[in-house]
Amino acid sequence: MRNFMLTIRPVLGVLSRLSLYIAGLGIVAMTLIVGWQVFGRYVLNDSPSWSEPLSLYLMSWFIMLGAAVGVRESVHLGLDIVRYAMPPAIQKAMDLISLGLIVLFGIGMTYYSALLAIGTWSATIPVLGWPGGTDFFPMIVGGAMIALFSLERFVDVAIGEEIPADIVVQEAV
Amino acid sequence: MAYAILFGSFTALMLIGMPIAFCLGIASFATVLYLGLPPIVVFQQLNSGMNVFAMMAIPFFIFAGDLMVRGGIANRLIRFAAGLVGHLRGGLGQVNIVASTLFGGISGSAVADASAVGGLMVPQMAARGYDRDYAVNVTVNAAIIALMIPPSHNMILYSIAAGGNVSVADLFTAGIVPGLLLAAALMVTAYIVARRKGYPSEPFPGIARLGYYLLASFPGILLIGIIFGGVRSGVFTATESSCIAVLYAFLVAMLVYRELDWAGFIEAVMGAVRTTAMVLLVIGTAASFAWLMAFLQVQTLMIGTIRAISDNPIIVLLVINIALLILGTFMDMAPLVIISTPVLLPVVKAFGVDPVHFGVVMILNAGIGLNTPPVGTVLFVGCAVGGITIREAMRTIWPFFGASIAVLMAVTYIPTLSLWLPSLFR
Amino acid sequence: QEITLRSADIHPDGYPTVDAVKYMGELVSQRTNGRIQIQVMNNAVLGQEKDTIEQTRFGVIDMNRVNAAPFNNLVPETTVLGLPFLFRSTEHMHNVVDGPIGDEILKAFEPHGLIGLAYYDSGARSFYTTKKPIEKLADLKGMKIRVQQSDLWIAMMEAFGANPTPMPMGEVYSSLETGVVDGAENNWPSYESARHYEVAKNYTLTEHSLNPEILVISKLSWDKLSPEDQQIVRQTAKDSVGKMRELWTAREKSSEEKVRAGGANVIKVNKDEFAAAMKPVYDRFVTDPKMKDLLQRIQDVK
Ligand code: NA
Ligand code: NA
Repeated sequence: MRNFMLTIRPVLGVLSRLSLYIAGLGIVAMTLIVGWQVFGRYVLNDSPSWSEPLSLYLMSWFIMLGAAVGVRESVHLGLDIVRYAMPPAIQKAMDLISLGLIVLFGIGMTYYSALLAIGTWSATIPVLGWPGGTDFFPMIVGGAMIALFSLERFVDVAIGEEIPADIVVQEAV
Repeated sequence: MAYAILFGSFTALMLIGMPIAFCLGIASFATVLYLGLPPIVVFQQLNSGMNVFAMMAIPFFIFAGDLMVRGGIANRLIRFAAGLVGHLRGGLGQVNIVASTLFGGISGSAVADASAVGGLMVPQMAARGYDRDYAVNVTVNAAIIALMIPPSHNMILYSIAAGGNVSVADLFTAGIVPGLLLAAALMVTAYIVARRKGYPSEPFPGIARLGYYLLASFPGILLIGIIFGGVRSGVFTATESSCIAVLYAFLVAMLVYRELDWAGFIEAVMGAVRTTAMVLLVIGTAASFAWLMAFLQVQTLMIGTIRAISDNPIIVLLVINIALLILGTFMDMAPLVIISTPVLLPVVKAFGVDPVHFGVVMILNAGIGLNTPPVGTVLFVGCAVGGITIREAMRTIWPFFGASIAVLMAVTYIPTLSLWLPSLFR
Repeated sequence: QEITLRSADIHPDGYPTVDAVKYMGELVSQRTNGRIQIQVMNNAVLGQEKDTIEQTRFGVIDMNRVNAAPFNNLVPETTVLGLPFLFRSTEHMHNVVDGPIGDEILKAFEPHGLIGLAYYDSGARSFYTTKKPIEKLADLKGMKIRVQQSDLWIAMMEAFGANPTPMPMGEVYSSLETGVVDGAENNWPSYESARHYEVAKNYTLTEHSLNPEILVISKLSWDKLSPEDQQIVRQTAKDSVGKMRELWTAREKSSEEKVRAGGANVIKVNKDEFAAAMKPVYDRFVTDPKMKDLLQRIQDVK
């Protein structure tokens, strides 16, 4: 198992970095689009109608990809006061339950988002003109990645592999 | 029974240390399965919860704050604040608060405020003989001012959670006086504590140097005017102002101060992605949770319960404030606002409380919660930049809590504090 | 056994659509001796109309009262109802939706997992502006008018010569107040209840759209009802229409009074001039023969 993880780790690393860069491009593109929306409305007196739905669509991608990376880097903030008070064996069990449920939730997200995409395919998204189901693509992909990355963490915890958290980011707001 | 599953599984998952976004999502999922509803609704609401244009203010303001810190805007504001109030008793504590207020005028995030101001101020304060816990406590409490002074994406969040019928421009304006009041209360507290501990003050740099500092920090101060003026004069909406803040901070950092290079820019982008994607996921799953609360008619139950406690608006507001403070100890700001606004707003409206006023109360209350463990994000950041433990910070935080709660009570029971300024713009 | 049908609505308590569905609930309960109940969950607690339409189709909730517009991208036949100046009067609209054409459009919902039950009134939508009042078509030129995020509405505003600015309803008040947009358009009750009359005082009676509201039930919930119960539900929905129109007329009147008392400047215009500008909209949205035929038959109704 340990060897398998060693082989798969670089692949997952590339996937996660790629997601992060795509999400970064997403936020830069959103900035330009919303900036253009203000410019178009106020300066040109011609409000672009596509700017709102398109920037929202980019935001969905950026949230789902960024959140999946967050699962891999374990930067999602939780309440850890009880966890720290527990003996190591219980801590391990808590982590396995927690990560296992997140794997299932990710799978559920992909499955039910796919059902939603199929069910809303015949409707059209106003202005963009895309099939209604495309709205759920970010969650289909994001759910799968959340499942994948939390499975990676699950196996790490199960075999007792210590993964140094390369980045510690706090949950803001 | 459905209530027990929804709230019970949420609490249990929190206790085993699961990230809150997934606690909310999985608790909703479990409840939907129990009720026999199609589980798609959990993910539909997650998707709708994220797909709100106004929500873009969150990544934008956090991104802008990151650019301001890396691009030299934040430290010039702090230098100006140091020149302005450094000569008062406990000078650097006062500087910290004024810097937070200035930075809060361009950033909407208390976390960004605590890390920007704290990161620069705490080491300086420690070097001049201030206790670290004092420095951290001043930092984390002053960071809450950023939520009250516009821009504030949490005000936008409240407006969305309120069903979109509360004017964000009014909420922005309503936060100014309470924000300044909080700044004043914290300055007085910092002064009293500093006197007792005998902390030093800094020499006054002279009018000429102060003028120079003001000039150097002017692009940052100008952003306050651009955001507030732009929103109030209709050039852009409150949501769009967050995007303008990013573009402006980028231009100032790149072209005026020339302190940001492309590598720094990419770091800022990645920082914004990492921080905000998780916050927005929490908002999405909180929307699913809130949908279930609506489906199970928790609102009706709440209104009944609160009416059973009292019919007196003063008591009702007190009960709500206490409930929010308790919830705020273990819940972060965004989910707290999203989940409790639709439940509590109809209650207070029934007692004649103005939604704009209640918004200010809610944001200040949830803001205080950012400094209360076990889940106190701003306190964590402050302790991290200050290099002390949460227990050390908690030992001496009480006077500052006292000041914040006194301001909360004043804002709760004197609606004019919030409503006077917006009324001038009508 | 006992059945509770959950019905969504975005409007607040006391709004005619909300009270009409509650009234229908009373009728159903009476006629089934309390066996079937309707629980109205209004105030958009279950989500916006787009969300609740999906929830109804997937059987999360049972019933939904939605304007015809959000159905346009799902049930193309509903698009015709929203065409500008389609109906000559409220009476003409009632004659269309109460007759065979109305039933035909309700039938078109079935392949999409919904059963159309009844049409409710939504009044006439008119423009309101902050600074410059609209007295003739030319006044609209270049004005930033808030519209719903919909192709039909954007095309309509372009045909009027305005600058259509799509924006969620929740941002409209602030945007009118600060001047992000110059105006918006809606019916009397929404103009009043959203308090837009406080910030946009010029209400111009263009009455450009009479798009009705539609009450639907999920096909999944429908199929669980016995044929007798289906008959009762369908009939009580029809029976609630009269009551709804009564409530609507009263509400429109009281909203108008409130708005006028609030200082609104109500402007009458020559509607023909505005209607004549709408040809590009008809050319773009009524293209296939089926839609052309439907349009022709609606226009032929007396
Ligand atoms: Na702020
Ligand atoms: Na807290």
